Amino acid sequence: MSSLLSQMWTVIMMNLRSLPQRLWMSLAAVFAVSVVVAVLLSFLAMANGFEETLKGTGSENIAIASRVGSQSELNSTISRDNVNLLLGAPGIAKDANGDAIASAELYVIVDGIKRSSQTEVNIPMRGISPTGIELRENVEIVEGRMFESGRNEIIVGQGVTKEFQGFELGKRTRFGKSEWEVVGVFSTGGTAFESELWADAPTVQSQFNRGSTFQTMRIRLAKPGNVQPLIDFAAAEPRLQVDIETESDYFSSQGKALQGIVTLGWGLSIVMALGALAGALNTMYTSVAARSTEIATLRTLGFSSLSAFAGTLAESVVLSVIGGVVGSIAAYLLLDGVTASTLGGSFSQVVFNFRLSPELFKQGILLALLIGLVGGFFPAFRAARMPVLLAFRNAS
Amino acid sequence: MSDLYLVFKNLTRAKLRLFLTLFATFIAFMVYALLTAFQSFLNSGVDLAADDRLVVLNKINFTQPLPIAYVNRVRALENVIDVVHLNWFGGYYQDPQKMVVTMAVDPESFLRVFNEYVMPETEKAAWVKNRQGLIVGKKAAELYGWQVGDRIPLNSNIFSQTDGRTDWDFDIVSIYTGEDEQTDTTSLYFHYDYFNETQSFGRGMIGWMGVRTDDPGNNEKVISSIDSLFQNTQYETESMPEAVFNKAFIEQIGNIGLIISSVVLAAFFIILVIVGNSMVLAIRERTREIGVMKTLGFRSPRIFRMVLAESLLIALIGGLLGLAAARGIIYMLSQSSTPIPTLIIDQSIVLKAVGIMIVMGLVTGIIPAINALRLNIITSFSRT
Repeated sequence: MSSLLSQMWTVIMMNLRSLPQRLWMSLAAVFAVSVVVAVLLSFLAMANGFEETLKGTGSENIAIASRVGSQSELNSTISRDNVNLLLGAPGIAKDANGDAIASAELYVIVDGIKRSSQTEVNIPMRGISPTGIELRENVEIVEGRMFESGRNEIIVGQGVTKEFQGFELGKRTRFGKSEWEVVGVFSTGGTAFESELWADAPTVQSQFNRGSTFQTMRIRLAKPGNVQPLIDFAAAEPRLQVDIETESDYFSSQGKALQGIVTLGWGLSIVMALGALAGALNTMYTSVAARSTEIATLRTLGFSSLSAFAGTLAESVVLSVIGGVVGSIAAYLLLDGVTASTLGGSFSQVVFNFRLSPELFKQGILLALLIGLVGGFFPAFRAARMPVLLAFRNAS
Repeated sequence: MSDLYLVFKNLTRAKLRLFLTLFATFIAFMVYALLTAFQSFLNSGVDLAADDRLVVLNKINFTQPLPIAYVNRVRALENVIDVVHLNWFGGYYQDPQKMVVTMAVDPESFLRVFNEYVMPETEKAAWVKNRQGLIVGKKAAELYGWQVGDRIPLNSNIFSQTDGRTDWDFDIVSIYTGEDEQTDTTSLYFHYDYFNETQSFGRGMIGWMGVRTDDPGNNEKVISSIDSLFQNTQYETESMPEAVFNKAFIEQIGNIGLIISSVVLAAFFIILVIVGNSMVLAIRERTREIGVMKTLGFRSPRIFRMVLAESLLIALIGGLLGLAAARGIIYMLSQSSTPIPTLIIDQSIVLKAVGIMIVMGLVTGIIPAINALRLNIITSFSRT
């Protein structure tokens, strides 16, 4: 048994050491695999980055109330009466004065210019209160100052300043008859809120003709994740027409919006992997043909056919895995952290970063390994079954 | 013995290798055709946009409303032939996760401004007469199994009726088709009056307007007269040609064009390397043979041409099979009842693909062909 293993090891090392003799053919196989893996990883990194951004946005400590069936903040409306009713619901955290900690908010969309394409895109503008800002974790003004209530002032998320034009610090912009000034830039630690403009809620109400209505309400829960008391309360009160869920549930479901990209990425990569597989098979059959004298000699010396098989398979796997690693590194260097934006669930832009993760690398290497195994198996089979005499004759 | 016969013999001598290189080429061109067809679908909103049609939006953003009174004021402007107003309904049928593009419009002016939707005159008249009438695009009708005469409820995820319901009942009066194969037939249109009188908030407001001008040459003039008409009002407008709006709308999703061309480029790069390499190899194996041919009096340029012909044939056969497969896939998709858009591999895609095949064939063959051209008879026999 140990002699068989040492035989296999000898042949494998021989094969690998002779790789430089078949340099171009081997490089072609490596290259094809690396391109396929890079394509796969770029799609996966896009969907992953988007999902991470939205997942990171939602909190278990906060419930969102929106109008029944509205599905997104944009489509929702909540009247002042409903807001007041909800404030009396059980399960809400209270502040030092014993008041429910909650924030009624507005969500309107305004035009911005996307830097990369110079076209108009939908930017969300949130009417918010100081309590609402406190509800979000990690909010920090990185430039300028906070807006003052009652004034047409906006603070903008860092994602907005990065991706879009028209909301630079100090810039004045008109919405309808009113003029607004950008007075600050805020960060929220990379969450989707950084894709938003924030302004004083009552001012947004009056400037956008919203009367006394809001769109959603955010409520700090007395116990994290425990929205049931609120849901029960809303169900028992016929005047309340609201859906209630935790903020993390709300954003998780929105994060699934790019799942189609994952499917598309895998579909394309598998089809292209078939092309790379053709390349790998070609390379390995050529390698077997080139080494036929060598294989025959080894067999004559008493090496088993299994060692010939292992040698060829190992060569193929090594080439593919190198391709997979090269493709992964290329994808990482080119794409990880690249900022992009797309339309999110509320019909407005969400800024996110491409994000590769160990899990994604694993999937990329797995695909490479699969190409290597299939691409090596059939040529290895040929190598193992090559009749010794024929091999010598072919080589002459 | 003709050259072509020799080329053919050379091609088929290593059958497995031929199959593998053809397969790699096949895959690349299939990916190319499918992705390019998809891109052309995305651009169809721009390509099919009427030159003489403008959209008038709220300047803040197109999700902000405009007063309905604007319609008649725009209609009265010079060079304006007709105006229609549209409202986004936020519709869905049974499943809240599956949006159905549904718009509330004024039927008469809608039919005049959007004349690319084809339906019998009797059905047009029936729609105008029936306040609860709904016209449905062919694709949408197929997807949901709707027939003319059906009465269906549609829900809105934005609006509710005065009694709190979020669903409205409609009579399907027509299933329209498109003037062009790529005309969108996934949308539904119904009476603004029905919508306006039953909804609980935002009455008297419209989403945006479609404006037909008397001549595309007057577009700029009409745009500036509309936008200056409403300047410094609570509802300022922003007007633009339909194509400009459609393009910006697609761009909102992201730079899909860049993604598609990168993937296509990657696919071609792979086959370039794979096919190029096996061509080099194939010719190197034949070194001695080429020496024999030269000895027999075959001229070098003739051998050069034969090698190029071989690589060209690989590219063309593999590529054309790839295009055919892409057509097959699209046909199968169109037969299934999935909400997949109508993809078309038109002549321009085919012509471009053939162009790429020729370039590919020449590029992958040029190095081995030059090697064969330069090959010295003496060295060809000394090399094994």
